[in-house]
Amino acid sequence: MLTELRISNFRCFESFDCSLESGTTLFVGENAQGKTSILESICVLMRLQSPRSNKVSDQIRFDAEACSIEGILSGKRLLFSAAGPKRRMTVDNESFSKRKDYLAETGLVVWIGNDDIDLVRGSAESRRRYLDFGASQLSAGYLPALRAYTRALRARNFLLKRDANPCWDQIDSYTKLLVQHGTYIAEQRSALISSLVPFAKKLQLDVSGKDELLSLNYVRSGNEDLELAYEEKKEAEAKQRLTLVGPHRDDLELSINSLLASKFASEGQQRTIALSLKIAQSHVLRERKGSNPILLIDDIFGELDSSRRNRLLSSFPEGAQKIITTTSLDWASDGCLEGSRCYSLSKGLLDEM
Amino acid sequence: MARLNFPEEIKSLIDTLKKLPGIGPRGAERIAVWLINQDREFASLLSKVVEDSVQLIGACEICGFFKSHEKGCFSCDDSERDGSVICVVEQPTDVIALEKTGAFKGTYHCLGGKIAPLDNIGPEDLRVSSLISRIEDSDFGEVILGVGSDVEGEATANYLADLIVGKGLKVDITRLAQGLPAGGGLENADELTLYRALDGRRKV
Repeated sequence: MLTELRISNFRCFESFDCSLESGTTLFVGENAQGKTSILESICVLMRLQSPRSNKVSDQIRFDAEACSIEGILSGKRLLFSAAGPKRRMTVDNESFSKRKDYLAETGLVVWIGNDDIDLVRGSAESRRRYLDFGASQLSAGYLPALRAYTRALRARNFLLKRDANPCWDQIDSYTKLLVQHGTYIAEQRSALISSLVPFAKKLQLDVSGKDELLSLNYVRSGNEDLELAYEEKKEAEAKQRLTLVGPHRDDLELSINSLLASKFASEGQQRTIALSLKIAQSHVLRERKGSNPILLIDDIFGELDSSRRNRLLSSFPEGAQKIITTTSLDWASDGCLEGSRCYSLSKGLLDEM
Repeated sequence: MARLNFPEEIKSLIDTLKKLPGIGPRGAERIAVWLINQDREFASLLSKVVEDSVQLIGACEICGFFKSHEKGCFSCDDSERDGSVICVVEQPTDVIALEKTGAFKGTYHCLGGKIAPLDNIGPEDLRVSSLISRIEDSDFGEVILGVGSDVEGEATANYLADLIVGKGLKVDITRLAQGLPAGGGLENADELTLYRALDGRRKV
């Protein structure tokens, strides 16, 4: 649980100091007042990455040299500062040089924002990224396997393209690697999906309040036995000069009452599905890791009708810390925000409401 | 007034040093200036050892390890080595690392790299055909694939194993094991190493 947050020279904030509630903390303000930047700073502090940009320099305030973010996470003092390309990460004044070691000291976050709808509407790539993120949190072998798979895939595609007559003896040596790592990746993804399903289904029913039966289906790009799959596609691959089967072509199919969500679900339904997937992820992380991720919820309430909104608020994992930004509090019904702390934000200045 | 710069002699020294692996323009300048400031004997000694190594030592045509032009290959021509097992590695330096263990008494074969299509290195750029003819001609009972465990290393091992089996050669093919670092506690091992160690556990 993050109890204190202090940032300086980050995005539009010169300096900024606030306490966060163990339950819900709300930041209310009009557009372009820095609401998302607060969530971003927490994400950077906890995970050293931002969903908005990859460049640290974007995050430093204009005409400032360095930015810093400080927070108290379950009694530990975390400090992240960046000056130009240099970064410093400390926990209780102990400095860490490796990202990995620092990340082991912090906690997980789940970012829930308006872009999440890409999970439903966007390409399969965004759904694979969603699965990859979850699976890499759950098993240590996943990320190395994924990296090895991607590297072997690049080499194999290169070999397929390079020669007029592909040299299959060399290509096959990479096919074996794809089979080895790909089988593991697909197994882990399937396992993740089966643990997501009960949560996502329940969330969809709860939040929609209707009989919206959500189903998640892992769609393989070819035969489930990868070794056979490559054998079957050999001719097509020689023709198209591309690796045609494997986890890099798999998809997560989402449907509501047996209809494909990307085509037939309404905007509101699609948003609800995306939310269900994200919140299901935080439930699974909590179940496996034994601790709650921090939920950073960026301005999603404007797009949902009031009943979905209120049901959504009650469906977050129990005891999870929630930090929410919103443009107005009109939607909040009596009592649903009890015990939460509310800040109003205007031109980078903070006021407790 | 002419602008001052390095004298021509030093410039060409810098240009030559820059060609060495791992040495950039700044490093080359630093080494050149340092060399100039040493006494002359050091420069003569340096040029002599470079000259000697290049003149007297080369790569063995058969196994790829270092070979003295006078005394022959240090590895192939050593009759005390166990001729029933051959260990395939990427570079001669890997041989020296393995020799330090003292555990391997067999013969070696240095490929001179690994198959890496993205860096434009194929089997024809490596000592692969000479490895095959060695296995065909000799009486090896076992081929140990001692290439690295990165993606290219694994691909090279797969390629060699397929090639040897494909030629119908009767020989055991083995791969170096992966797992816990010796003499270390579990807390020092990274996640992937532990994962591999768990994966490759054996019965006691």
